[in-house]
Amino acid sequence: MSRSARQLPWDWYEGEIPKNVAVDSTAYIETSYSFRFFRSEVPGGVEYGRGASTYLGTMFDVGPRGRVKLGDYALVHGARIICDNEILIGNHALISWNVVLMDTYRLPANSAGRRHELELMPQRELRIAAADVPARPIHIGPNVWIGFETCVLPGVTIGEGSVIGARSVVTTNVPPFTIAAGNPARIVRPLTAEEMKSHAA
Amino acid sequence: MNRDKQSEPSQPGRWVDGTLPPNVRLGQNTIITGDLAFKRFHCHEPDALCIGAHCTMDGVHFDLGEAGRMIIGDYCYFTNAVLLCELEICIGNYVVIGWNTTVADSDFHPIAPAERIADAVACSPLGKGRPRPPVVKQAVIIEDDVWIGPNATILKGVRIGTGALVEPGSLITRDVPPRARVMGNPAEIIGEVA
Repeated sequence: MSRSARQLPWDWYEGEIPKNVAVDSTAYIETSYSFRFFRSEVPGGVEYGRGASTYLGTMFDVGPRGRVKLGDYALVHGARIICDNEILIGNHALISWNVVLMDTYRLPANSAGRRHELELMPQRELRIAAADVPARPIHIGPNVWIGFETCVLPGVTIGEGSVIGARSVVTTNVPPFTIAAGNPARIVRPLTAEEMKSHAA
Repeated sequence: MNRDKQSEPSQPGRWVDGTLPPNVRLGQNTIITGDLAFKRFHCHEPDALCIGAHCTMDGVHFDLGEAGRMIIGDYCYFTNAVLLCELEICIGNYVVIGWNTTVADSDFHPIAPAERIADAVACSPLGKGRPRPPVVKQAVIIEDDVWIGPNATILKGVRIGTGALVEPGSLITRDVPPRARVMGNPAEIIGEVA
């Protein structure tokens, strides 16, 4: 069976990379299944930088106005990216498996609003929420490392070079070059002078 | 879901990726997707799993033990939830459960070390026919209008009250009052739903 230019030669899933996804020639996408829920209409709805990669388990659950950018050498092992606004992942960032990056809660916080949306959803082909719910951008700085099963909540910025422990829930900003962990996440300590030694400022 | 024709409101409930076990009942317009939905469905009792109308169960694992019984209401939306049921899991209407969240009504193994050795042997390839020691099971009840975020864990014996909001990544070991907002490991009340 011949494959189109937007299909991946190695893919087990018979999907395509959406037209508004910009993939650098040196980037790697393990499977187009990651785009099963992708419905962004923005040009560059997802951008892959040089050497950026996304592996099995990564899902771009990106709404019509959502935009995700993966920096150079950014590695996303398997994150659920729930985006209606903007999620920026910096250069050399490492994102582990079962991480959730969500810039929106997708459904209204009040029961009545949620009921209304839940009654509309089964009538849609993709059965996905389209409620007008606030979305606040997530910015993950360069060189950040996020441990497995961590959730990053709407509006959070994680500064350059910081490390987030596994199974954390990040509810507030994390300064650069800091270790944070826990649920909810707290600052554990700044990186030491020793750890920062060969880092070019 | 996108592998199939658009659903009409009058359609009967169905599992997109296989033939439903005979003791599963689905309401009108309810859709289950995912190859693994019934891989660990071990219950043969009649009406072991009953799901109401207009629900979306995307990639959900219905892992029912031999004595498990699960009831889910109308207009529920679950994404890749793992539902582990040895006794009873009862979920109301308009309940949302986020991606990769686990609900379990049992710890599956005893706490006492000697009993756990007996359990390990009984569960092993050499344990054929050996009875397993008793394991604590307590029903989980999730009432109407509850929202549960992704990566959360709901453990045995818990009742989550109407309209409560369980923040992403929370570990729930105790009852959650109606309309409470909870978060953390272990989860604590951080507010009330507006």
